[in-house]
Amino acid sequence: MTIPALDAVGAGPPDAAPAVPGPARRALAALTRNKLALAGALVLLALFAFCFLGPLLHPTDQIHTDLAQAGRAPGVGHPLGTTDLGYDQLGRLMYGGRTSLEVGLAAGLLATLLGTVYGAVAGYCGGWVDAVLMRITDAALAIPALFLLVVVATLITPSKPVLILIIASVAWLSPARLIRGEALALRSRDYLHAMRLMGGGGGRAVFRHIVPNAVGTVLVNATFQVADAILYVAYLSFLGLSVPPPAADWGSLLSAGITYTQVGHWWLIFPPGLAIVLVVAAFNCLGDGLRDAFDVRPAKG
Amino acid sequence: MIRFLAKRLTQALVVLLLVSVLVFVLLHLLPGGPARAILGVQATPDAVAHFNHQQGYDRSLPEQYVSYLGRLLTGDLGESYKLNQSVASLLAERLPKTALLAGLALALAAVVAVPLGVLQAVRRGRAADYLLTGVAFLAYATPVFFLGLVLILVFGQQLQLLPAEAPQADTVGGILAQAPALVLPVVTAALGIVAAFSRYLRSAVLDNLAEDYVRTARAKGQSNARIMARHVLRNALIPLATLLGLYLPTLFSGTLVVESMFNYPGMGLLFWNAAQSSDFPVLLGVTLVVGVATVLGSLLADLAYALLDPRIRSVT
Amino acid sequence: MTDPLLRVEDLHVEIAGRGGTVRALDGVDLTLAPGEALGIVGESGCGKTMTALSVLGLLPPGGRVTGGRILFDGTDLAAAPERVLRGIRGNTVGMVFQDPLTSLNPTVTLGAQVAEPLLLHRKVSRAEAWAKAEETLRLVGLPRPAERLRHYPHQLSGGMRQRVAIAMALICEPRLLIADEPTTALDVTTQHQILELLDELRTRLGMALILVTHDLGVIARRVDRVAVMYGGRIAERAPVRPLFAAPRHRYTQALFAALPDAATDAGRPLATVPGLPPSLTSRPTGCRFAPRCGFATDLCRAAEPELTDGLDGAAPADTAHAVACFHPADPAAGDPAAALLPPHPAGEAREPGTAGTLGNTGEPLLRLAGLSKTYPLHASPFARRGPGARGREISAVAGVSLTVRRGETFGIVGESGCGKSTLGRMVVGLEPPTAGSVHFAGRDLATLTKRELRAHRRRVQLMFQDSSAAMDPRMRVGAVLREPLVIQGIGDRAEQRRRVAGLLDDVGLPRGAVDRYPHEFSGGQRQRLGLARALALSPALVVADEPVSALDVSVQAQILNLMRALQREKGIGYLFISHDLAVVRHLADSVGVMYLGKLVETGPARQVFARPLHPYTRGLLDSANTPDPDAPPPVSPLGGETPSAAAPPSGCRFRTRCPRAAGLCATTEPPPTEPETPGHRVACHFPLTSAGSRGLSSG
Repeated sequence: MTIPALDAVGAGPPDAAPAVPGPARRALAALTRNKLALAGALVLLALFAFCFLGPLLHPTDQIHTDLAQAGRAPGVGHPLGTTDLGYDQLGRLMYGGRTSLEVGLAAGLLATLLGTVYGAVAGYCGGWVDAVLMRITDAALAIPALFLLVVVATLITPSKPVLILIIASVAWLSPARLIRGEALALRSRDYLHAMRLMGGGGGRAVFRHIVPNAVGTVLVNATFQVADAILYVAYLSFLGLSVPPPAADWGSLLSAGITYTQVGHWWLIFPPGLAIVLVVAAFNCLGDGLRDAFDVRPAKG
Repeated sequence: MIRFLAKRLTQALVVLLLVSVLVFVLLHLLPGGPARAILGVQATPDAVAHFNHQQGYDRSLPEQYVSYLGRLLTGDLGESYKLNQSVASLLAERLPKTALLAGLALALAAVVAVPLGVLQAVRRGRAADYLLTGVAFLAYATPVFFLGLVLILVFGQQLQLLPAEAPQADTVGGILAQAPALVLPVVTAALGIVAAFSRYLRSAVLDNLAEDYVRTARAKGQSNARIMARHVLRNALIPLATLLGLYLPTLFSGTLVVESMFNYPGMGLLFWNAAQSSDFPVLLGVTLVVGVATVLGSLLADLAYALLDPRIRSVT
Repeated sequence: MTDPLLRVEDLHVEIAGRGGTVRALDGVDLTLAPGEALGIVGESGCGKTMTALSVLGLLPPGGRVTGGRILFDGTDLAAAPERVLRGIRGNTVGMVFQDPLTSLNPTVTLGAQVAEPLLLHRKVSRAEAWAKAEETLRLVGLPRPAERLRHYPHQLSGGMRQRVAIAMALICEPRLLIADEPTTALDVTTQHQILELLDELRTRLGMALILVTHDLGVIARRVDRVAVMYGGRIAERAPVRPLFAAPRHRYTQALFAALPDAATDAGRPLATVPGLPPSLTSRPTGCRFAPRCGFATDLCRAAEPELTDGLDGAAPADTAHAVACFHPADPAAGDPAAALLPPHPAGEAREPGTAGTLGNTGEPLLRLAGLSKTYPLHASPFARRGPGARGREISAVAGVSLTVRRGETFGIVGESGCGKSTLGRMVVGLEPPTAGSVHFAGRDLATLTKRELRAHRRRVQLMFQDSSAAMDPRMRVGAVLREPLVIQGIGDRAEQRRRVAGLLDDVGLPRGAVDRYPHEFSGGQRQRLGLARALALSPALVVADEPVSALDVSVQAQILNLMRALQREKGIGYLFISHDLAVVRHLADSVGVMYLGKLVETGPARQVFARPLHPYTRGLLDSANTPDPDAPPPVSPLGGETPSAAAPPSGCRFRTRCPRAAGLCATTEPPPTEPETPGHRVACHFPLTSAGSRGLSSG
C-alpha cells in the first residue's frame, strides 16, 4: 500500500501515559493517593471491627438491666462506665453501633439503588417523562426529610427492617436527581451518537456505555447516602422514634444520656456522639476521595 | 427574564400542588384512616362510619382531595386533637418565630462562611486550608443535637456564659429582646450550613480564579486583593443565592431539632410535641407549611439569582 | 536603528506541573523597536504564548522565569517586583487574549471593565474614565458605544467582544500591545475585521505590536518581522518578506509546505512533518527538530544550533534573517517546498476539480432535496405552553438540495452557525429533518423500515471533529474499533480482530494500539482512530465534520493526505464539512457554500473558488488570510455580522451584508440558477457573472 502518510505515524502512542484500570483498582489507587480518603477508609474499618469484633474481646450483657451497677463512672471492668440501667457503656456502644451501621448501610444502599433506577429512567427518557418524574421529586424534596421521617415514624412502630425502609423511602430523592443529571449528560455524549450511527440500540447504550460511565457517580453517591442514612437513624432515635429498647443505636444512647448531663455523666454522651461524628465524617471523606478518583477526566494525550 | 419568571412560577405552582397531594396521601396512610386517628382505636364501627360520612371521607379520593384543597385555600388546616385550637392559628403563632430562628441562622452561616471559603481558596494546599477543611468535614458530620448538647454543656453549664434555654416570649420582638438566649440556638442551627457553604465557596473561588477573565484583570494591572473583591467574589457569590434555597430543607430540619432541644417556641417544637402525642392534624399541618415555605423560599432564591446574574436578567 | 522598546535576552521559563517540570522556553532572544510589529508563529506547545505571557509576568500557576532578562524601556521585567509589573500592565503594555468569550468578566458591565485600567493607572474621576471608555469603544468600532457601556459581555457577539477586549488593552494608550491568538476563536470574516482594526490602530496610535499566532496567514500582511518558534526556542527570525519568500529553517519550510494553500497541484498530497513536537519535560540533546527533520545529520543530533545569520556564524543583528539550523536551505534555491514533497504517486494523478478517478460521471450516491431543520427556541415541555412562545424557532437549515456522487469529495464551507454541522447530522440520520428528504443510493431514508435503517448504517458513517469525545473513555481502542462490527454482527471474534488490525494498518497506527485507551493518543492520532472507526463498516460515504480543525498544520496535512489516500484506495465518498476554505479547496471536488442555513452556491470546487458567483463566496475568499505578504488587499471583504437564525432576513438571507443588495432581495428569495457554466449553481438575484463582476471591481 502506498499511503504517503504511513511514514508519518511518529513515535506511536506515548509510553508515559498509564493505562486506565477498572473502577475497583482506580478506587484503590485513589485511596493511596488521597490521604483524607485513606484516613476515612481506615476509620471505617476500625469502627466496623469495633462494633462487630469488639464484643469478642469485651463481652457484656446488653439484654438484662442491672440496677446495682447503674450510673458508674468509667473504671476497672467498665472502661466507659455504665448507663442508668446498669448496661456497660462500652459494650452498649458496640451493640448500638451495629444497629447504626447496619441500618445506615442498608438504607443508604437501598436509597441509592432506588434513586439510580428512577433517575436513570427520567434522564434517559427525557421529555415529558422526565418532567413529570422530576416534579414529583421536587415536591418530595420540598418537605424537609426529617419532617417526613417523623410523620412516617409516628404512623408505624419501627423495627430494624421497617426503619431501613422508612429511611430509604425518603433518602432516594437526592440520588435520583443526581443520576438523572448524569444520565441526561451522558445521553448526549458524542460516543453515544457514534454508537447509534453504527446501528446500536438502547440496550447497548445503557449497559455498555451509560452504566459503566455512571458507575463512579453512583458509587461516590452511595458513600454519601450511607453517611446521611446513619445521621437519619440518629435523628430519629434522638426524637424517640427509633427501634424500642432494649435495642439501641448511637442516637438513642445519646438521647438516653441527656437526662444525666446535669449530674455530670459525660460518658453517656460523648462516646456515642463522637462515634456518630466519626463514622459520618469517615464516609464523607471516603466519598470525597472517590469523587476525585472518578472525576479525573482523561488527560489530553 | 419574564419568560424565566413565568417558567419558574409555573414550576413552583406544580410543585406546590404535588406537595399538597403528598400530605393528602399521608393523611390517608394514618392507621385506620382519619376517623380512627381522631375518634380513637376504641370507637365503634358505627361511629367511624358516621364520622366518615359527616367529614366526607366516604366519597371518592379525587373528590376528597378537591374538597381538601378547597379547605387548604381558605386556610382551614383542621383542629388540633390535643390543644383545642385550630392548626392554622397555632401555625400563625409559631411560624414567625421559626422564620426568625432560621433567618438568623442563615444570615450567620453566610456571613461566617464567605470569609472562611475565600481564606481556604487563597491558602489552598497550605496549613490553614487543610485545618479548615478538616474542621468543615467534622462540622458537617456532627448531628445538630450533638452539637447543641456540647454547646449547652460548655457554654451553658461549665462556663455559665449563655443561657441554655431559648427565649420564651409570645412575640418576635419579645424573643429578640432576649438576645443572649438566642445565641446558642442560632449557632447550633448555623454550624452545619457554615461548613457546607464554606466548602462551596472555596471551590467556587478556586474555579473563578482559574477563569480567563482573572488573567485579563491581572493584565490590566489590578492587584490580587482587588481582583478577588471586584471580579472573583461577585461571580462566586451569585450562585450562593440558589444554594441558600437548596439548603432550606436542611435548615428547617435543623430548626426542628434545635427548637426541641432549646425549648424554643417555634413550629419545630410544636411539631415535635405533636409527634409525641400523635396529634396528626398538627403534624400534617406543619409538614405542609414547611413544604410550602421551602418551595416559596427556593423560588425567591432563584429569582434573586436571576436578578443578580446579568446573563439571566437581560434575557427576554 | 533606535533603541529597542523591548529586548528579551536568553529567556528561560519553566512550568511545574503534575507530570513534571516543562521547560517551556529555553533561551529565547527577541527585540522590538518602538512602533514595530513582530509576529511570533509556531504550533501548539512551541512556547509562543509563554513568551507573550512572561513579558507581563502573567505566567500560569507553577510557571516562573528561571533565567534571562526582559528589558522593557530599560526595566528588567523578569526581575521586577509585582508592584512594578502592575504599574506596567494595562498601562504601557496592553494585552489581548485568545478567547473573547471567557476573557471578559460576565457579571461586570462593559463600561466598568473598559474603564478599569484607566482608573488604576491615571488620576481620573469615574466620569472621566467612562467618557474615555466610550471614546475607546468608538475607536475600536463598537456601534452605539454610549449604550453599550451599561451592557454585559454576553449581549455581544464574539467579534464585538474581542473589540471590547482590545479597547480595554488600549484605553491607557500603551506603547506595546501584545495580542495572543486574538482571532483564533473567530470566524473568517470577523477575523479579517479584527486584524484590520489592529493594523489601523497600530498606525494611528504609533504603538508596537506583538502578534502571537499559529496561523501563517494571519501575520503575512500584518507584521514587520517574524519569529518562528519550535520546542521552546526560536528556530528562525527574519523580516516578513524574506521569511515568506525563502524560509531557511527546515521546520519553517515544512510548515509552509504543509499548508493546504501551498499545494500547487490539488491532486498531490501535502508535504507532512512526520512525528510529533518534542515533549519539553526533559532537555533534548541536539536540535529539537532533528527527530522529524529529513536533513538531520549526526551533528544535529549531538549539538544544539544557535541563531546565526548564516554568514560568519556570529550573533546576528536584530533585523537580519537569522536561523538556528546547521543545514539551512540555500536562499538562492528555487521552490523550497519542492524538496519536501513526497514523490508524486505514479498512476494516481488526476485532474484537479474532477471527482476522483470516477469523474463527474460517478452515479449519485447522496441526494438532498429541500432539506430543512428548525428547532423550537425553548425546548422545555413547560415553556412551550407559555404565552408568546408559539412560532419562535431557529431556522438552522433551510431548504438545502445537493448531490454527492460515489467516490467524490463534496466540501461544505461556511462560518459558525451557518447550519453546516446540522446538515451533516441530518445526512447521517442523527437528526430527523423538519422538511425535505435524504435519498441515499436512490432510496428515501424516511421510507426505510427499522431493519433497513440498521443495515443502512453500514453505508454512511460520521467522522467527528473531536474523536476523543466520540469514543467511550472507558473502552480500549480495540473495543472501540470492534464495536461497529459487533453491532452489525459482522464476522466472529477472530475475524473482527483481524479487521481491526487491518484498519490500524490503513490509518498508519501500530497494531499494539488496541490495548490502549483513546486519551493516551495525541490529537492527530485520535483523528486517525476516528477515521479507522468510520471506515470499519466499509461505508460508501463518510460525513467528516471539521475533522482537522483542532489540529496543528503539520498534523492536519497528515490527516488530509490519509483521507485522500484511503478514498482513492476504497472509493469512499466524503461530505467534508469545514470552516477552512484552504482545506476544502485542497480536498474537495465539488463544493457548497452555506450562509445562515441556505446553500448559496454549489459547483465544481475549482470553478467556485476561481470564479465565485455569489457575493458571499467572494467575500469569504477575500477575507481569508493568504500566507503571502505581497497579496493584494481584498477587494470586497465582508463587513457586519451574521444575523440570528431565529430571525433570518426576509428574501435573500445574505442581503443585510451584501454590497449588491437591492429592493428585490428583501422581498423575493433568489432561486438557484446556473448563469455561467452548467453545474455551477448560485442563489442570487445579482450574481457576479463575468460582466457583472467587472463592474463591481471598478466601482
